Amino acid sequence: MPEPKLMTLEEAVGRFVEDGDTVYAGYLCVPFALTHEIVRQGKRDLEVVGASVVWPATELALAGCCRRIRSGYIQGALRPGPVTEMMLSGELQYEDYSNQAIALMLMAGALGIPFVPTRSFLGTDYITERTEGHPGRIPGYRKWQVMDSPFDGQRVVLLPAIRPDVVIMHAQRADAEGNVQMWGHLGDARWGLWAGRKVIVTVEEIVPSEVIRSDPSRTVLPGFRVSAVVHCPYGAHPGGLAGYYDFDFRFLGRVINPAFSSREGFARFREEWTDVRDRQAYIERVKATIGEEAFQAIHVDQHVRPLREVDYGYSRNTNLRMEGKVP
Amino acid sequence: MTDGGDGYTLAELMCIEAARLMPDRGVAVLGLGTPVLAGTLAKCLHHPDLVICTEVGAIDWRPDPATVARAPLGIHDLILNHGAAMATDMVDVLGALLMGGRADLGVLTGAQVDRYGNLNTICIGDYARPERRLGGTGGNTEIACLAPRLLILMSQEPRRWKRRVDFVTSPGYIDGPGARRQHGLAPQGPNRIVSTMGVYRFDTPDGGETGSCEAVLEAVFPGLDPEAVAALVPWELRVAPDLREVEPPTAEELSLLRRLDPFQFYLTPGRY
Repeated sequence: MPEPKLMTLEEAVGRFVEDGDTVYAGYLCVPFALTHEIVRQGKRDLEVVGASVVWPATELALAGCCRRIRSGYIQGALRPGPVTEMMLSGELQYEDYSNQAIALMLMAGALGIPFVPTRSFLGTDYITERTEGHPGRIPGYRKWQVMDSPFDGQRVVLLPAIRPDVVIMHAQRADAEGNVQMWGHLGDARWGLWAGRKVIVTVEEIVPSEVIRSDPSRTVLPGFRVSAVVHCPYGAHPGGLAGYYDFDFRFLGRVINPAFSSREGFARFREEWTDVRDRQAYIERVKATIGEEAFQAIHVDQHVRPLREVDYGYSRNTNLRMEGKVP
Repeated sequence: MTDGGDGYTLAELMCIEAARLMPDRGVAVLGLGTPVLAGTLAKCLHHPDLVICTEVGAIDWRPDPATVARAPLGIHDLILNHGAAMATDMVDVLGALLMGGRADLGVLTGAQVDRYGNLNTICIGDYARPERRLGGTGGNTEIACLAPRLLILMSQEPRRWKRRVDFVTSPGYIDGPGARRQHGLAPQGPNRIVSTMGVYRFDTPDGGETGSCEAVLEAVFPGLDPEAVAALVPWELRVAPDLREVEPPTAEELSLLRRLDPFQFYLTPGRY
């Protein structure tokens, strides 16, 4: 019997997130419930990576769980505030890349190759000395290398592979074996999932394996690569998830922005939101905060479903039987 | 400053003019911000055959102009799954499409632009000790590096127009003719900037190899004095001898643009 994959947030994070881990947290399918659990368990010295990193990285940084970020976009730095202060004081290490760069670095990590070339970044100030010596620099880190292709001389920028220790992700559904299905645009999730050594996925729904196996093209990672699956409705809130709920702009404005704008705001947020382990209690608190009507308004009312069922069918015998090759 | 007269704002006309300037055909990658709104308007009104994509994996989004609820709120809005030919990932769009040479147009904005069409999305002031740090480039860098044609939208606020951007996250012509090629990029840089006051083309007859490669004012919004626009630009701006006046919005353009931005997510009344 394979090891059971279904577990609670507490168990999944307790078993599979270790101090010092590099954590991939995607910017779509936001693993916010998982983030809260990591904070509750007080993990330390984490590095967060992702093409663009949004609230999970911001929360982990403000909670003192995250020491380092490599990303193409750091949501916490968008406005002046404590994350920017941490970056510019050197308290939070960071290296700026781009969405394409991180997506390719994760792909390289997934493919088991040490680096990947890109034709992006040429002509930018990123690859000059201007980005050296910033206060958040990761000591001794080789960020990129410009070279001419040994095959045709074309100039490229080499980027190091990223192999995250652990991936945290929120997805539409999985089965108890950990087979994960997602649909809609995926951002950097496809290669992020493959690149991870350990993978924790929260899902809106746990479905029977037959459901997954009747539609295998929608599977983004096979269960044998998944460490833990947690049934966690609204696990991306206030992010959106195709087919379930949309971005909660009211919550973002009323709760998230103030939480991430000051240390005091974050302390309140942590007490009022992060520390709520019970997911039903969290949702009740969302309703009470933004109002029942606003809570209903985040739910999908414009359904986008395939107009025709697909058939993965095949022939039982093919015409090898006709050729007399089947007993 | 906000009112373009006749009941439209200058920012509305920026998006409308940018939409007009997009090509009838080809594959466009729309960057974060007003490019998404302008691209949606182009697709719904002027250029229905234009293929529009965003870097999160939305390819050939085809909204129904009669019923579309909104332009995408950002490049990752779930609405992009409704009517897309393909919903995939960043490696496909920023890799196979853009770096693979299968896209025709990029549309971008940024925090700052300069006379060579270089964009900055990451910091105001010195990178190491910025006056203001910003989120970062996202996919802006690869769109500027790799798209064979580029359209820039940039509000005509003095703080955004620089002799030299504080940091080149997204190269235009870098520092003049031939520079892109020297750095290993295709020579063609940005083709147009549409601001909230006018339209700029770039002074290069052969797509980046010769000419000054500087932005030249080629059109102004209705009723605006080109000298007043030039006064807002911190370099010796040249005005094209064939300067034209941008057509004001049609009623159809304006009503559709407003319908596409029902929450004033992009264009806030009373602001640019």
